[in-house]
Amino acid sequence: MTPVVSIDNLHVRLGRREILQGISCRLGASGVGKAIGLLGPNGAGKSTLIQTLLGFHKPSAGSAQILGMDCHKESAKVKAAIGYMPENDSFIADMTAVSFLRLMGEISGLPPSAALEKAHETLFHVGLGEARYRTVGTYSLGMKQMAKLAQAIIHGPQLVILDEPTNGLDPAARQRMLVLIKEMKEQHGMNVLLCSHLLRDVEEVCDEVVILKDGKIVHQADLEAERSTNRRFVQLEVTGDDRGFAAVLREIGAEGVSESAGNWRIVLPKEIEIGALWRITSREHLRITKLAYRRDTLEEIFLKAVGHLRPAPLATTQEVPVHGGI
Amino acid sequence: MAVFRRGYERYNGPLTGTAARLLVMPRFAWERILSHRFVVVLLMASMFWPLACIAFIYVSNHADTLLGATGVGGGFSKMLEINGKFFNVFMTVQVVFGMILATVAGPGLIAPDLANNGLPLYFARPLSRWTYVLSRMIVLLGLLSLVTLIPGLLVFGMQVSMAGSTWLSNHWSLGIAMIFGFLLWMLVVSLVAMTSSAYVKWRVVAGALVLAFFFVSAGAATIVNQVLRVQWGSLFNPGYAIGFVWSAMLGLEPPEDGPGVYQYVISLSVTIVILTVILMRKLRPVEVVS
Repeated sequence: MTPVVSIDNLHVRLGRREILQGISCRLGASGVGKAIGLLGPNGAGKSTLIQTLLGFHKPSAGSAQILGMDCHKESAKVKAAIGYMPENDSFIADMTAVSFLRLMGEISGLPPSAALEKAHETLFHVGLGEARYRTVGTYSLGMKQMAKLAQAIIHGPQLVILDEPTNGLDPAARQRMLVLIKEMKEQHGMNVLLCSHLLRDVEEVCDEVVILKDGKIVHQADLEAERSTNRRFVQLEVTGDDRGFAAVLREIGAEGVSESAGNWRIVLPKEIEIGALWRITSREHLRITKLAYRRDTLEEIFLKAVGHLRPAPLATTQEVPVHGGI
Repeated sequence: MAVFRRGYERYNGPLTGTAARLLVMPRFAWERILSHRFVVVLLMASMFWPLACIAFIYVSNHADTLLGATGVGGGFSKMLEINGKFFNVFMTVQVVFGMILATVAGPGLIAPDLANNGLPLYFARPLSRWTYVLSRMIVLLGLLSLVTLIPGLLVFGMQVSMAGSTWLSNHWSLGIAMIFGFLLWMLVVSLVAMTSSAYVKWRVVAGALVLAFFFVSAGAATIVNQVLRVQWGSLFNPGYAIGFVWSAMLGLEPPEDGPGVYQYVISLSVTIVILTVILMRKLRPVEVVS
């Protein structure tokens, strides 16, 4: 299956600075709606990467492909297959939203009648139906963000590149935007490349994540797999006589430490299912009052990747100073 | 089904061709520009001179009948002749309207896209920088044609219809000269208008800059000519250069001293290249700080 984004030893130089220093990766699969998160600290090269994919910058070496088409050599074909929502305000201020979208649709190749129909349809879809005859310049920040999203999807692209789509949105609008992004991939089969500083947004909607630092990829992960590999940290609260519980845990190959009466922190090896804990607590006549998984959040993955947090051999060691360790 | 009841669906229908896409931006721009009352009034006003010229052509072609009745001699009949001089005067007056139109419509073409950071939206679509410039230029070429080329062809066509095929076979070069003369003028004025629009955010100032370009260059050329006691300073005056090229194409007598038509053509070509380079430097989807 053709990857949505395929980057091979990509170098991009802007002026005298080399912004992207030989990055390579394959992301997503065409025909399968997936969201790819692009993360990195300021100056990591995220925007430059997006702009290179859009054909705005010429690679100094290497290549970047979208849906099997070279971003530089087949720029027109690539652009026909993608939709782009820029980070900053981008619109034609004195146009009504309908005219603005119609214009964008027609430039993307939609016939005039289809562009007009899609303009109305898309504006209703993003929640701007009632305000579609207002000039875009009079919109609030949240409405402008939605208008930008609408222009990016009016022509039904295969890949939508979203640069900080939730910037400046209030919690309700942010949630609405995330729902729309999820719908784009799950219901409409679009691939999404999401560039955001808000890790929670990426965590909520993305299936894959790429972390850039200083123009290089420092981490690339399948978020679902990452989550499952870290599903080993369990916080358990039990009632009953738990004095022998540490030994019982060792029997099944797990390790645990009692933090206070009835409170246990347990590390489960990958091969042991959570059901084993239910069985041994039942056997020991203990009653579970609380059981919580603890896994690495995307924030921890990100901080480790960019070097602000030391990678630990076992994630539990991160909590040693606070909880006394296990 | 009502549009608000229908959910969003990805578009899977046929796409338009490159030529149709090229005309999308001009269509939207013309719609906007022609909604201004001043532009409509200006377009109407620009038709008076062609109508006067057509009346003159009528008189010229019926001179024998008219002059025979009044008893005026053949010298006056020669004054009414439709020749290169007639078309030169027609074109010179008509471009005044064109210049006003360019200063009104030109600044609104690129400045809003730059002010609203709209270029990334265009260039993220199958639209290159050259296509963008061409689209914007078509807007001005179309509008300026309404006050130059189209009335010019009407006037020429009227003369042909009245004077007959003999006149056409002897004077066809006047028609060609008028078409290429107007096209050359429209190209230079469009580039000046678009460049000023790309560099100046305020429409009024950008419009004034279009006029200033021609006045300042004329002033600079005069200063060079006066101070150095030469004639080649006129090469820096695009307005004069265009007029000179027109005169040459219409078969009028050029001034005896000073640069020739080829020097003026080269001067105009250099101006067009410089304006294009300046314009293209500004039209980037993203600013790159070296």
